[in-house]
Parts: sequence; C-alpha cells; structure tokens
Amino acid sequence: MIKRTIPISITFVIGLIMVGEFFIPHSSYRELTGELLDWGIILSAGAFILGLINLIQVHLPTVISRGNDWGYKLVLLVSLAVTLVMGFANGKGRLETGMEQSFSYKWIFDFLYVPLSATMFALLAFYIASAGFRAFRARNAEATLLLLAAALVMFASVPIGESVPGIGEYLVVLKDWILDVPNNAARRAIFIGAALGAISTGLRVILGLERSHLGGD
Amino acid sequence: MLDLLIRFQNMDRRWVFLGMAIAIVVPMLAPFSLPFKVDKRVQDLYDRVEALEAGDAVFISADFDPGSRPELEPFFRAHLHHLFRQDVRVVMGTLWATAPPLVKPIFKEIAEQYGKEYGKDWVFLGYLDGRELAIKKIGQSVRKAYPRDDSGNKTADLEVMVGLDAAKDFDILTSVSAGFPGTQAYVLQIQGQYDLEMASACTAVSAPDYIPYYQSGQLFGLSGGMPGSAQYEKLVFADTPLDERPRLAATAGMNVLSAGHMYIIVLIFLGNLAFFLTRGGKED
Repeated sequence: MIKRTIPISITFVIGLIMVGEFFIPHSSYRELTGELLDWGIILSAGAFILGLINLIQVHLPTVISRGNDWGYKLVLLVSLAVTLVMGFANGKGRLETGMEQSFSYKWIFDFLYVPLSATMFALLAFYIASAGFRAFRARNAEATLLLLAAALVMFASVPIGESVPGIGEYLVVLKDWILDVPNNAARRAIFIGAALGAISTGLRVILGLERSHLGGD
Repeated sequence: MLDLLIRFQNMDRRWVFLGMAIAIVVPMLAPFSLPFKVDKRVQDLYDRVEALEAGDAVFISADFDPGSRPELEPFFRAHLHHLFRQDVRVVMGTLWATAPPLVKPIFKEIAEQYGKEYGKDWVFLGYLDGRELAIKKIGQSVRKAYPRDDSGNKTADLEVMVGLDAAKDFDILTSVSAGFPGTQAYVLQIQGQYDLEMASACTAVSAPDYIPYYQSGQLFGLSGGMPGSAQYEKLVFADTPLDERPRLAATAGMNVLSAGHMYIIVLIFLGNLAFFLTRGGKED
C-alpha cells in the first residue's frame, strides 16, 4: 500500500506544481519549480552511474565465462575503463585544442570516437542506395506517388536538380510545395495526435491511473 | 535482354556500394561547381542575425556529434563567423555529452580570429545533463542551469553574462541540432512558454519535421542539412574576398551530394524500368 501510495502522491503533487508553472508566472513559484528541476537534473546525472554499473553487470560475467561474443564485450569494457580513466586524469585540459599529451581523452575522441562515429553514419549512404534500388518499386498507385515525390525532393534539393535548363526552377517550386503543404499537413496531424496522447498519458500518470512506472500493470 | 534485366535486378549489392563509392569519390577528385539558390528559411535566419546590433546576445545550443558533423559543422562555423562579425555576445552550451570536444575548439578558434575575449565576448558553458529538464532550467535561468562555465569560472561573474539570465534575455536562441535533445525539445519545452526568438540548424532528415515550427513562426529560420549549411555559407561569405574566405565545407560538399543523389535516382529509375520490362507491372 505504502509502496504505491507514496510514489503516486509524490507524482501527483510534483506534476501539479510543474503544470502550474505555465499558469503562474511569479518569481517565487519559479524558484520552487527551479528547485524541482535541479533535483530532476541531479537524478538524471545519477543515472549515468547506474548505467555504468549495469553495463559492467551485463558484460563482465560473459567475458569471465568466455560466453558469446566475449571478445567484443571485452573491447567494450576496456574502452570504457580507458576513456573513463583518461577523462578524469586529463582534468581541465581535456578539451583544449593543443596536443600536448600524446595519449589523452582528446586523442581518444579525435582519433577513435570521431572516425568510428563518422564511419557508422557514412555507411548509411551505401545502405540507402541499396535499399532504394531494391525496395522502391512502383507496384501500385500509392507506391508510385511516394516514389515520384521522393525522387523529386531528392533531385530538386541539390544543385544538379536546380540547374536543369528550363525546368530547374519549377522543380524547386514543386519540391517546396511538397514539403510545405502535404508534408506539413501530415506532420501537423501527427504532432497534434501525439500531443493529445502525451497530455492524456501525463494526466493518467499524475492522477495515478497509469502505474506501469511503479513496476505494476 | 530479359535475362540481363533480371540479373540487373538481382545484382550483388556490393556493386551498388561500389557505384556509390565512385559517385562520392569522383566529385571529390574532380570538383565541379553548380550554382544553387538560397531557401527562404535560410534567408530569414540570415536576415535576423544581420539585424542584431553590437552588444546583443545569442545563446547557441550545440547539440551534435561526429556523425552529423559534415551536415552541421559548416553551419556552426558560418554562424559563429556571422555572429562575431556582428559584434554580439555569444553564450554556448550543449545537451550532448559527445559535443564539447567537437564544438569548443571550433568556438575558440573562430572567437580568436575576431580578437574576442573569453568571458567578455564569449563563453562556453559545457555539457548539461537532464534533457528536457535541462532545457526547462535554461528557460528559467542560464546562470543556475550552468553555475560554472566549462573552465570552472562562476557563470554569474562573467562580463559576457551582464543582463543575461533567463533564455528570454537573449536576443536569439540558435539550436544546432542532430536529434534529441535538440530543436524539437526546445520548441516544446520553452520556446512557446517564453516566446523565444529561435532558429534551428538541423540534419536533412529532421528538416521536414521542423518545417511546421517555421511555418507557425516558432522558428524564425531553419537550415536543413548540408544544402542549408551551404546556402548559409553563401550568404555569410558573399562579400568576403576569395583569398580571405575560410574553407566552405558544405559548399564544397554540394557536388558530392548532387552526384550521390543522382546515383540513387538513376538506380531507382533503372530498377523500376527493369521491374516493368520483366514483369509487365503485373505484380501487386
């Protein structure tokens, strides 16, 4: 009983206070909500520590028992440890542009994280080309419409499309119309639907009707 | 012929990858330049920054990472050039843990080019965790959201922060956003509540999502992906002599983008042609 009542009561009170901020633009009220936001930010930062512990709990046993993909998990844990130690050890100078230290947090970021992250993102171009070639087929009226709109927006969004003699400028106008009218109509419908859903869920949480976050059903 | 078309449709995807690699590498080795126009959304962003006066203040939320660097870093650099040229105060923070090592060196490099003094003309506040909560806090008080800057100085004591506390105190808020938390969270959490003058530079894939915010006036300007960055570069450096211009990465990348897009369109066209010729368009 207490396990549920206290969290629901806290949720109700805090939820109401935070909603009230929109309607009570007084400085003392803002001080109160500001304090609550600080608590939230501290809790959110604390989640990093939980994440760290969880990561170790999940992967370390597999490495010790030489389970599936233990090699990858070992790389993950070693990278985690090295980056963490370097981040703390380099202290204040960790973000400076100079490369005074041959192996530092900045070195890890510049020469490992940046290229690896950029590579992952760059691979999308290849997979999009392959997926577009195999999946984009004008099988019916809807698919044809989608295909034509996509091809036109893609073509008119780059200089080569704009530069087609005679029709380039019209293609751009058509592209803008697709983005500004049908795209916007659909996006707004989705946004409004999602917002109504969020309000409804928020109210259910505040009123204690939605309790899944407490571990129940 | 029919056999050839069927084989074309079922070709190994590594050939598709090879074609894409060629489409990307060739324009890099043999650059060509095609003219492009400036979108109204980017023009509006530029015009608003042009209208700033010396001493005005801008808050930049630099929320991107290395994956989105090719699309957003050119805008970010051009925007900093534009702002420092206007002699405005620039305050920057980030909601992405991976952003500080990327954005701080650029910020420092460009500020120094214009002889700007740290703490007086510009400040980097660093990373703030908390996502929407952090944004709400920025809306209420930047000084309390970031009690100390990235170098450990008390934010409230910095000369650049004179007269600045809540997000509303800044003349403009620019969100350079590669996803969440970013532009959308700013619009939902504080733009409407405090009626902020806000602009966004986002990845190309996010731009259609943010156009409704531009149309409703919640964003006064919007730069989408590499084309948006290139258009902004074009405006910012229009009057800069060629030998004094920095490297315009987005402008240089537009020919690569053109070739990549063309390659995908040609592939889709040929794929559909082969599909209709071999199956007569009967498949549903």
